[in-house]
Parts: sequence; structure tokens; C-alpha cells
Amino acid sequence: MISESLISDRGVSAGDSWITVAPGEVRVALTGLRDEGYRLLVFLTCVDHLVDSSREWPARYEVVYQLRNMETRVQLRVRTFVDGDPPRVDSVSDLFPPANWDERETYDMFGVVFDGHPDLTRILMPDDWVGYPLRRDYPVGGEVVEFSEEHETWQTAPDKA
Amino acid sequence: MTDTDSAAIGQGITVSKTGEQGAFGGELLTINFGPHHPSTHGVLRLIVDFDGEQVRRLQPVIGYLHTGIEKQMESLRWQQGVVVTDRHDYLSPPINNLAYALAVEKLLGVEVPERAKALRVIMSELTRLSSHLVWMGTSGLELGAMSMLMYCFRERDTILDMNEEISGFRMHTSYIRPGGVFADATPRFLEMLDTFIRTMPANIDEYEALLTNNPIWRRRTIGIGRLSAEDAKVLGATGPMLRGSGVAWDLRKAMPYSGYENYDFEIATSDLCDCYGRYLIRIKEMRESVKILRQALDRLPDGPVNVDDRKILPPPREELETSMEAVIHHFKLFTEGYTVPPGDVYVAVESGRGENGCYIVSDGTHKPRRVKFRSASFVNLQALERMAMNHFLADMVAIIGTADTVLGDVDR
Repeated sequence: MISESLISDRGVSAGDSWITVAPGEVRVALTGLRDEGYRLLVFLTCVDHLVDSSREWPARYEVVYQLRNMETRVQLRVRTFVDGDPPRVDSVSDLFPPANWDERETYDMFGVVFDGHPDLTRILMPDDWVGYPLRRDYPVGGEVVEFSEEHETWQTAPDKA
Repeated sequence: MTDTDSAAIGQGITVSKTGEQGAFGGELLTINFGPHHPSTHGVLRLIVDFDGEQVRRLQPVIGYLHTGIEKQMESLRWQQGVVVTDRHDYLSPPINNLAYALAVEKLLGVEVPERAKALRVIMSELTRLSSHLVWMGTSGLELGAMSMLMYCFRERDTILDMNEEISGFRMHTSYIRPGGVFADATPRFLEMLDTFIRTMPANIDEYEALLTNNPIWRRRTIGIGRLSAEDAKVLGATGPMLRGSGVAWDLRKAMPYSGYENYDFEIATSDLCDCYGRYLIRIKEMRESVKILRQALDRLPDGPVNVDDRKILPPPREELETSMEAVIHHFKLFTEGYTVPPGDVYVAVESGRGENGCYIVSDGTHKPRRVKFRSASFVNLQALERMAMNHFLADMVAIIGTADTVLGDVDR
């Protein structure tokens, strides 16, 4: 296990074990875990805890890394909490190549900036998109459906839409 | 290629710089491939730098099929979300349902009855077969084996008929749901399944007779799109992409779910590491799927197909006429739904393409706080550049084909 001083909290959620590390120490922790055998980054994503009264959250955004040791078949979830505008975390795309697109997607959807990412651009949304769709304060249905009646109005007067 | 051209392509896409020299003395040529190319299995755009006719750099551009499925899930109640999970990997809806259902069940702490588990295995394997059949038909078509499409879609149609019989829908079945399955298998379904299992091995022989020793098919696939075992592991590839590189990793064996540990089957692997190896894997997997189906059908246990919990699933129709409590449960379930204890969980299942996972965060309300689909296609697509490097333009079709990405799954 990596140095205990890096782990600020740990627990088990529905059978999945997780640890929490400070946002500045994500790279150190993940490098250590990778060298321990957690070679596969299954996925990386973000959770927006805006107005979630079910639990106490240290910050609004939680960046989640799911790691797996393919030899022992043990999984571990690494969580880190970040705030700020934009929220910033160090990129791990050089440690785990699959993180490259996952980080781009997380940036695209949540606006989390991954420092040191080689090409942090939008991946699913168009390049000129404004806003981060998976943030909880981004409304569903806020976008006018193309070719609908509303779309005609919107096309003629974009500033009044 | 001028600088204005490269600016027009859009930010975030690296294109060859003006006048960059290739090994053959000519300039690198940037070509746009897709998004509406028929061999991209959806809408995948590739920006490729060619030196002569060899690939030197390849940049996939995705997002054309982005439908905001993860965002939609946040505004749907737990039981409504199933319908949306059908639609991201549209070639394997029951497997997507299964990942979601298992995740919700794990958070709820419920275990489905044995018969439901067996029916889930049957539907998963039928789906794997139909997904491989679509892959084989379309890949055959792209590489010149036109008749493959007819043969493969013939059997796929039988599977779709079975989907219709058991769930009422041919494609987006929403059959597997948190707490069990939609309905018990009808006798006619079991009959159809039995006939299917008996006829399928001969059909697979037929596909093999058409392709395995076909000189054109072999020339187009052997040695094309090599991906070493080390590369596949580092790039996070799963499914036939990983097994095609000789790594025996299958979630059904490695981390069994839904009772897969009770079935006797083998993991197909191939050390060829190329497109032909991936083809052999899928053929072998289809044979193994038929084996699993036979075991599941023979040992199909009796009993209920849903958990007996009125807080999660509605009461049977006949109870509504006699019991006031049943009416209340029914009303509560269909107006506000059920709540799931706070927590987060990740469940992964093996789809025809690799690891299809579902990460769910619950805040204790009637709707999920966050649902993330870890799709195999999204990760596997990142290995495309490694596979296509130094191959010809025409080989890219074979490589994209055998990677078997579903763009709905990539873009979600």
C-alpha cells in the first residue's frame, strides 16, 4: 500500500474499496499504486456534488479514478475533491494512456482542468460549445432542438432566445 | 495543406505541418476519413496523415453521436433509467441493462433469484452472438465478402425474433431490470432457443467455410493491425481486442457476475495479434456462447424471476384487484419511484466489445446523482492509431472493422 500519509480517508462503498487523497498528491498516489500492480485505469470521471445534502462533501467536484490490478483482480477507487473555477487536478495521462481521452471527456463535461495534459480540448461536444453539460447547474432541455419550431425563432434572433 | 486549412479543421486536432517530409521523399498528406464513411460503423471521423499511402499519424474525432445519455439518466428515476441504457451500445442492449441493473442491485443490497440470473445469462449470450454476427456481416461486406451480411443477418433475425418473444421488443429490449427481469420466458421462447442452439453450430461452420480459408479474407486480415499484448494492456483495451493479443482476460471468468462461475466455457485467445486473430476469437466466442446457452437452458431453474420486494418492483396485476396495500405500492412506485441508499458503486460486465461498466453515485433520492458508463469502444478506439500505423489506407477499413467499435457506445 502507498504511504499512509497520502491517504486522508478510506472506506468501502457497496463492496468497492476506496481511498481519498489530496488533489495535489494525485500523481504521487497514482504513481505509487501503479508500481504496486494497479496497472489498469478502468475509468476516470468526475461527480458534481452541488447541493447534495445526503453527506458532507469537502468540495463541489469529486474526481474519481478506478484502478484495477489485473493479476490479483483487486480494484481500488481513488477519490479527490477539488473546488475552484476552473477546478484543477494534475493529469495522469502519461501514467495511464487510457486517461488521455477520459480526461478530455471530464474537461468537456465538467470543466475540470487537467494540468499537464498534452491536448486538453473538447472531445464529445463541438469545439465552440459554451458551458459544461454534466455540471448539476446545467439544465436539461436548455438547448433548443434543431429543426423544431423553437429552433426557427432561435435562428432568427439568437440574442433573444 | 495550408495553414488556413489546418485552422479550419478545428482546434485540438493536430494536422501535418506544411511541407513536412515523409520517408518516401514526398510531403505528408492529410486526409479526412468519415464521418459519413460507410465503413466507420456509425459516424467516426479520422484525420490521417499519409506518407505515400502509409498511415503516419491518425487522430480519431468523435462526438457525432453524443446524445447526453449520462445527463438524461440524472433526470430519470431509477427504474426509468433502464430504457436509456439500451441505447448507448445499440448492438447489445441487454448487456448494458445488466451492468446498470447489477449496479443498482448492489447499492440496494438485493440479490435476484436463480431463474432471473439464468435468464440474464441467456439474454447476454444471445446478445453477444447477435453483436458478433452484425460485426462479422458488416466487416465481411467491407472486405469484399458480400454474402456474409446475408448469412449473418439471417441468424441475427432469429435472435431478434426471440427478443420480441421474450420482451416485446426486437432491439431495445429493456428486458433486464433492477430487481430481476421484465417477464418470465414463455414456453415458445424456450422452444425457439432450443432450436436455435441446435442449428447454430452448423451455421457457424458455414461462416467459417466462407471466411476462415478464404484467400481474399486472409490476405486482407493476416498481419494487418498488429497490437502486441503489452500495448493492448497499456492502452486499456478489453474484449476481443485484448484476447486477440493473447491475454486471457474475460470478466465472465475473471470477476464473475450473474452466476457465470457455474458455466463451463473457455476464454478464446489468439496469439496472432492481428485482424485475423480477432476474427478467430469472435468465431470461437460464438461457439462458446452456444455452449453457455445450452447449459443455461438445460439447467434453467424454476421459481420467480423477480425479487419479492414491493418497494422495488410493482405487485402482480391480480393482486391489485384485491389488496389495498398492493395499490399503494403500485401508486408509489409509478409516481415517485424508489430510493437507493447513498453511496457509489462500479460494476463491469463483458459485452461483445469488452468491458462495459456502470459507475453509479446515489445521493439517496429517487434519481441517480451521477451515472457514468465505462464503454469498451471508447477505450478500444484509442488503440486505433497504434494498430493502423504504417498500414495502407485500404487496410484501415479492416482495422476499424475488427476493432468493432459502436459509435453510440463511444459517444454515449
